[in-house]
Amino acid sequence: MIELDFALRRGEFATRVNVTLDDRVTGVFGPSGAGKTTLLGTLAGLVKPDAGRLVVDGEYLLDTERGIDQPLHKRRIGMVFQDSRLFPHLTVSRNLEYGYHRLTREQRRFSLTQIVELLELGPLLRQKPYQLSGGQRQRVALGRALLSSPRLLLLDEPMASLDVRLKMQILPFMQRVRDEIDIPMLYVSHAIDEVLQLTSRMLVLEHGQVIGYGDFVDVMRDTQVLALARSLGMENVLQVELLSHHHAEGYSVAKLGAQSLFIPLSARELGERITISTAASNIALAREPVAGISIQNQLPGTLGQMRQVDHRMLVDVVLDAHTLVAEVSEKSVQDLALSPGMKVHALIKTQALHLYGQAL
Amino acid sequence: MSILQLTPEEMAALWLSAKVAFFCTLLILIPGVLLGWVLARKRFFGKALLDSVVHLPLVLPPVVPGFLLLLLLGNQGFLGKWLQDTFGISIAFTWMGAVVASAIMALPLMVRSARLAVSQVDRGLELAAQSLGAHPLRVFFSITLPLALPGILTGMVLAFSRSLGEFGATITFVGNIEGETRTLPLAIYTYTQIPGGDVPALRLVVLSLLLAFAALYFSNIMEQRALRRIGSGDDRA
Repeated sequence: MIELDFALRRGEFATRVNVTLDDRVTGVFGPSGAGKTTLLGTLAGLVKPDAGRLVVDGEYLLDTERGIDQPLHKRRIGMVFQDSRLFPHLTVSRNLEYGYHRLTREQRRFSLTQIVELLELGPLLRQKPYQLSGGQRQRVALGRALLSSPRLLLLDEPMASLDVRLKMQILPFMQRVRDEIDIPMLYVSHAIDEVLQLTSRMLVLEHGQVIGYGDFVDVMRDTQVLALARSLGMENVLQVELLSHHHAEGYSVAKLGAQSLFIPLSARELGERITISTAASNIALAREPVAGISIQNQLPGTLGQMRQVDHRMLVDVVLDAHTLVAEVSEKSVQDLALSPGMKVHALIKTQALHLYGQAL
Repeated sequence: MSILQLTPEEMAALWLSAKVAFFCTLLILIPGVLLGWVLARKRFFGKALLDSVVHLPLVLPPVVPGFLLLLLLGNQGFLGKWLQDTFGISIAFTWMGAVVASAIMALPLMVRSARLAVSQVDRGLELAAQSLGAHPLRVFFSITLPLALPGILTGMVLAFSRSLGEFGATITFVGNIEGETRTLPLAIYTYTQIPGGDVPALRLVVLSLLLAFAALYFSNIMEQRALRRIGSGDDRA
């Protein structure tokens, strides 16, 4: 159990966090500047809050009232950083042993071989960090942190600098650690899908405040959180109600306002409200309904605001009860003569709709 | 006698220079690294002042520090008298005085190199080491120091070379005593002042060149080796 209760002000930025986390793995989610790094820094002892308490499993790491403030090296909080921070002059095996060596036999929660096997580090042991790929580095960093036998593991965007292929390679190891290592973890990311691969328990931060804590689907019901997810480029996060399942064909039908939407087969009960999302780039626009096309969803709507972001045109499509955001090229805008107020159809492939809160 | 043959006086100057430079480098190694580390990593009141004082010898005419040393450590000097009365040590007009004079002149070069080297060590690595349970002192010796080593080696070679070339502060503080304080530059100067001294002067000039070149070459090799250990040597650039 991790009790966080602190306040901190640094110039314009102010944060106030008061929450008790009781999950094995908690995802910490929020845009940059939301206070994720401050939260981790405060836990690790890098950031001194103006006032507050930090209690991990009954032990006080910080209590400004009683003058307790354990230094970083005594907190026993393992960290895995985005940039791995392996010691470049040491081999992988020396990196792994860095925190491990200093512990007494009783303090060690795992053996070296155990972690080497769990993370399949055997072939890397004699190498230097510069010889490793990004994914391998993160595996070593994870192993190094675990071997220091921390009481809490903080993962700060550990996969953010990896491409999708490497993420897919390291994810199973993260899941292995989650399933086999009995250490509470905070997994910080701005990529919600990544967090959901590891846990559905989520702490959502914005502007230094906790705006939601709980199961993802419940948290997402909160309008404040929904607005945030939108602003982060998960442009279309929608709540829909399940109308029918078509097991043989592998799809479900859901109600979005007064319209029906074909979505991938959901495991949830009929009548339940679920959260789905799709990126703006998955939505195409047509001026007329299109016949003879495999795309099932053709939602009539009206063009709203259009804005240019880098080389993308983001276009609002106002439906009866929701607004979708579609991404189109500048050329399409010219070819179709798109302008606000125009009637269009939003085309969305069934498989392009992402279902949250299924069996992850 | 061959033109390349060193006379005993020249040999003495060479050995004296090597001895002074070696002990000078040794003397400032630890204070230089510590000062470099403090200036790179710490914030405190009077930091700018300390920084200026350390660097002063770089911009002063060398005879000024030499004269100040004489005032302070000379036999009639405030510290010199105390050293004489308490320990019976007198360093003015001895080779040890030459070491002190060149140490003062070489310290800023050592500090600058160490400071640069330490500031280029990623703070994140030090914090990562601490999060693994290492005491800051252990972090310094196991992470900061090894990673700053190439720069510290450069500083050592610069200090060594500076000491070999030290002239003004030395001659002011410890004079020009053959076999005791007459280092290579002082010997060269002396030969240029006497008739027929051109040939021995030239010999010592060539010797100085070789010595300086050898020091730089050695430092380059050491630095490359140290960089390769952390995977950032020229061979990968």
